[in-house]
Amino acid sequence: MLDTLISGLQIVLTPSTFILIFLGTVVGVIFGALPGVSASMAVALALPFAYSMNGVIAIAFLCAVYCASITGGGITAILFKIPGTPSSAPTTFDGYPMAQRGEAGKALGYSLVASAIGGLIAAFAMAIVSGPLAAVALKFGPGELFAVSMLGLSVLTCLDNGNVIKTLVSGLLGLFLATIGMDPQTGVARFTWGSTTLLSGVEMIPVMIGLFAVTEVLKQTVKRSKKDGGKMDSTSKDGKFTTAFPKVKEFLAVKWVMLRSSILGTVVGILPGAGATIASFLSYTVEKKISKHSEQFGTGIPDGIVASECANNAATGGAMVPLLALGIPGGNAAAIMMSALVLKGVQVGPLLVKTQPDYLSSVFGSMLITNIIMVFVSLAIAKVFAKILAIPYSILGPVIVMLATIGAYALKNSTGDVVLMMVAGIVGYLFVTLGYSSAALVLGLVLGTMCEENLRRAYQIANGSWVNALNSPITIVLLLVCASMILFPIIKGAIPDKKKA
Amino acid sequence: MTLDILFNVLLLAASIYCFIYIGGADNSTATELGAAFWPRLILGIMIVLLAIGLVNMIRKKDSKVPVDGAAVAAFFKSKLLIGMIICAMAAVILPYIGFIPTSFLFLIAFGVLLGERRPLILVLTGIVATLILYIIFQGPLSIFLPRGYGFFRNFALAMEGFLSLIPGL
Repeated sequence: MLDTLISGLQIVLTPSTFILIFLGTVVGVIFGALPGVSASMAVALALPFAYSMNGVIAIAFLCAVYCASITGGGITAILFKIPGTPSSAPTTFDGYPMAQRGEAGKALGYSLVASAIGGLIAAFAMAIVSGPLAAVALKFGPGELFAVSMLGLSVLTCLDNGNVIKTLVSGLLGLFLATIGMDPQTGVARFTWGSTTLLSGVEMIPVMIGLFAVTEVLKQTVKRSKKDGGKMDSTSKDGKFTTAFPKVKEFLAVKWVMLRSSILGTVVGILPGAGATIASFLSYTVEKKISKHSEQFGTGIPDGIVASECANNAATGGAMVPLLALGIPGGNAAAIMMSALVLKGVQVGPLLVKTQPDYLSSVFGSMLITNIIMVFVSLAIAKVFAKILAIPYSILGPVIVMLATIGAYALKNSTGDVVLMMVAGIVGYLFVTLGYSSAALVLGLVLGTMCEENLRRAYQIANGSWVNALNSPITIVLLLVCASMILFPIIKGAIPDKKKA
Repeated sequence: MTLDILFNVLLLAASIYCFIYIGGADNSTATELGAAFWPRLILGIMIVLLAIGLVNMIRKKDSKVPVDGAAVAAFFKSKLLIGMIICAMAAVILPYIGFIPTSFLFLIAFGVLLGERRPLILVLTGIVATLILYIIFQGPLSIFLPRGYGFFRNFALAMEGFLSLIPGL
């Protein structure tokens, strides 16, 4: 590993490469912070710049953009409840309430440092265990991936806000929305009622932006009209906010959360198709389950922010493992990076790490440097963003909706997605009012396609036998964990509480 | 009847309808799960859960949002409904009049709804915020924002012409 470290630093500390990585970090944070510009879109937008670079430098530059964009996504999630990237959605659960309390700076501090630590741990993990873990990931067939996505879905019970049935219904509604459009395996139109617009399915990003951002602005409309008709203040408490960052002691209080989330994020990131979104949701849930103060999750506690941000950044490192070791992209952004390497004539596959170790060193070095300079770059950018909170809500609220509108539109340059976002915003308000869970709906929508495709593929490979489709030890263990996670709160709810009695 | 029960009943009815509707798309074979399998599985579980939820709600009668005449009248007079209408209108007119006019009108209308009464502030906010968003996204990020039709399209094209004159954009 020492060789990889030295070689990686030699590559990335060359002045020209370092400048490129720095620029990639700045661009990544800004792109990530902009709603609708996902991490993969940020990498895609940076791709043309990489064409003129040497392959080793190009992958370092794109890796910097990728890591930084995931971190940037947390900035708007905390300040405006608009997750810049889908993987930052769980960051809104605690980050936004903390910012609302006037502690935007603190929330951002936790988010940025957690992201950096998650990224650094993942970078080291990538360098050390790249080979062995990639071999394990190769054993993951459709059955195992179905179990992984089911494990992600079991998170639903932890997003419960007082009514398990309503939370499960919300998650199922998300799964149902994911089935709308053309069936990817047989080409049959499902729930389109003859509409060509619906054929391409329900996009996740407009729904997510609508549920989180538009619903929040509508909620504020009601809250502020109840409070007093005329006077408008900022989004933070009493119009004031602090940009004071957490102290070292406060960071040390969440050190184990950081470690657990980073490891979990790295492992999830390695699994092809799983990615940063599942990592952050899963990590948030695990921390909520094992925390001594789980009831405080969702009210604006550091553990929630750290769990989500550590895991989603760690997943970026994990996603590079199958890409470099096996030539299998772990997600969309990794696929774009792979295409850049292919364009450069690089033979991506199991032999890459052995015959051209510079690529692994370059990614490793880039991740180390990016995760360190990212804290300072993000600090500067986040402070500018945090100042925005002082703007009166009568100005900020409508601007957030317009920003959300662009975010939804930019995905496919489709005004249909803007309509979808507004509908999601209005439905989201109804959801919040009636105690349903928007987060569960988003999770269902995110995991729906992965769940269905893998289950059907596993069944097909097993020649129509359910037993053969789901009988591998990994699948069985994962499904058992998943079943216990779903059933535990239901059984717990059914058993009378002796303390209360 | 409470809003909670009403919503539950509507969801239940829609789920049952969709469950029956997708049955027509069933193309399963002995070794392959058809297009209807997964949606039916989800809808089936949803129907059971919604039915349980409905029974619980009727038994407990503890829903917090009663829907009576006064509540309906209050909703129709509320800022919430106006906010929803403004959002819906913005989404509908966006393809017809383009991004710049929609953003300008939306920022003013929603600003008024949120209590801003100073016309100068409203107009200035509308212009400045629209231009900032337009320049950032249409310029460096190359996202082609909706142009609209007819006069609005010509206006958008003229704006794009101005933007191209700025070096670096």
